[in-house]
Amino acid sequence: MTRKITIDPVTRVEGHGRVTIHLDEYGQVKDSFFHIVEFRGFERFIQGHPYWEAPVLVQRLCGICPVSHHLAAAKAIDQIVGVDPTDLSPTATKLRRLMHYGQVFQSHALHFFYLASPDLLFGVDAPAEKRNVVAVAVENRELAVKGITMRKYGQEIIKAVAGKKIHGILAVPGGVHKTFTEKERDYFLDGKNIENIDTMIEWSLAMVDFMKGYHEANRKFLDDFAYFPSGHLGMVNDFGGMDLYDGKLRAIDSEGKRTLDDISTNLYQDYFLEAASQWSYMKFPYLKQLGREKGWNRVGPLARINVCDFITTPLADKARKEFIAFTGKKVNNSTMYSHWARLIEVLHCAEEMKLLLNDPELMGSDLVRKGTPRHKGIGIIEAPRGTLTHHYEVDDKGMITKCNLIVSTTHNNDAMNTAVRWVANNVISRKGHITDGMLNQVEVAIRAYDPCLSCATQAMGKMPLKAELYNDKGELIDEKFKN
Amino acid sequence: MKNSKTEKGNILLIGIGNSGRRDDGLGWKFTDMARHLGYKEMDCEFRYQLQVEDVLMVCRYEKVVFADASHTSIKEGFEIKPIKPAGHYFFSSHMQSPETILYLAKELYNKTPEAYTLAISGHNWGLGTVLSRAAQENLQKAFRFFKSRFVLSSKESAE
Repeated sequence: MTRKITIDPVTRVEGHGRVTIHLDEYGQVKDSFFHIVEFRGFERFIQGHPYWEAPVLVQRLCGICPVSHHLAAAKAIDQIVGVDPTDLSPTATKLRRLMHYGQVFQSHALHFFYLASPDLLFGVDAPAEKRNVVAVAVENRELAVKGITMRKYGQEIIKAVAGKKIHGILAVPGGVHKTFTEKERDYFLDGKNIENIDTMIEWSLAMVDFMKGYHEANRKFLDDFAYFPSGHLGMVNDFGGMDLYDGKLRAIDSEGKRTLDDISTNLYQDYFLEAASQWSYMKFPYLKQLGREKGWNRVGPLARINVCDFITTPLADKARKEFIAFTGKKVNNSTMYSHWARLIEVLHCAEEMKLLLNDPELMGSDLVRKGTPRHKGIGIIEAPRGTLTHHYEVDDKGMITKCNLIVSTTHNNDAMNTAVRWVANNVISRKGHITDGMLNQVEVAIRAYDPCLSCATQAMGKMPLKAELYNDKGELIDEKFKN
Repeated sequence: MKNSKTEKGNILLIGIGNSGRRDDGLGWKFTDMARHLGYKEMDCEFRYQLQVEDVLMVCRYEKVVFADASHTSIKEGFEIKPIKPAGHYFFSSHMQSPETILYLAKELYNKTPEAYTLAISGHNWGLGTVLSRAAQENLQKAFRFFKSRFVLSSKESAE
């Protein structure tokens, strides 16, 4: 008799998803799926709105990544008013970058401390009641306090530039609507009211060191768990350095060969297609020239470390070199190294924020530029979870006629499904019985990609995540529902 | 722990909910009304959901009230009750209970503010910003109680 396992909801991820694993009569995995079951609708109902509303409206896609959507939309809308990234004023660019680094910093801190650390500290087989941030707080107070403080620091940066931590507004077409004051800057530098940026860098470095030590102690598991070759996609600057806010698109295959050679973000449509499936609302983007099966890429911290030639800040670049030296591999295809890569980016963002906070141009008064209006705008940034694309087209009155969003988590759709399949085949298949620890490993594999399922499907409402086990007759024989 | 804000009072009122989903906006509406009372002793904050880092804010106050809409039909239209720290955890990062926030305050910062939940019965949870008539009545009842019995008694005891 074949069986089907379902994990629903998948926990400690942002959003609502479901995993199903189908077993044959011998208990061997026949197939597995990571389903995204929420309805996708934002691209449609944004049509008919005036273009200047887009950077505000799209923030409502998600309460976790509103800044990323705000900035990607803003970059696209800049083009609608005839302003390319290089034409934006230095003050506007730097304020947007500060907001973006604050967002990536707090998002990565949230993921590591709140979502991933229970697996790393207590092990993937730990009892379910222990795998959460409350248990981390009890057993590792210092780590929890640092995590909460780092998350707060990033959120305070967002609040300072956008007025609110969630759904604030900084960008307007062609620039920003406010500048930064000395008082606001000093708040983040002097350490009187909150820990200062030097402390953030110091703690980020400590976390990178912690993660390196963790890898030394658990090398085989981290090397092997959910390992699979794939392409990697990310954005780099003109010199090949990692750039989270603006740059060119670069993709490599699993061995490092370029599959997308630093193309302008405005040309993304010439290179990418999106496939759909019957079992998920989340699409599957891929590179046209490689086709549906071979053309998909991972995105996010691990992919960005893999595709860039260097990181533009010294401490993070040193950490990147140590990361590469640890395995000796040019391209890292091990899912669990995503956590280490994410912490290197935390360090990078802290360094970038320090540079910006000490830059007098942050407090400039040249905020908005104008150009010759166009009918199309494409904005791409590296969001915390990976490459994020916003594409708008407008009519002569400036009303939006087309909206296409390729969200970071969507790029990782194939990767997450492949990771689930790996766990199904290597952990669950032919074991005779299924334990909670086994199912948690499915979630561990997904969690490494820090998916934001609300963004990926542009869903509304509550979004828990679930796992189901089915037999060969398609009958549900076991399920886990974590709510 | 460094405080990012000068405290002006010793009561924190946190409105929780989503004012774009009709009666789910009860917590915000209540908090907004309380804010306009202008009590110096009380700070007001608004949240869609409680998050782990809200523990930093809660730690700064002697008394905390979490105001939220309730799906449950409450006889009086609202219910205010004391709560204690409890270490249960919701699976998502961005939706924690008041009890969990208090638990983290106690475990991480050794702070145990006196805390209450104020639940106000709602009836309509669809899209929109207007409260249902029944929710508005419950809101007024809750506010009258809060104003006369809760805030004023806090002021008197402080004096």
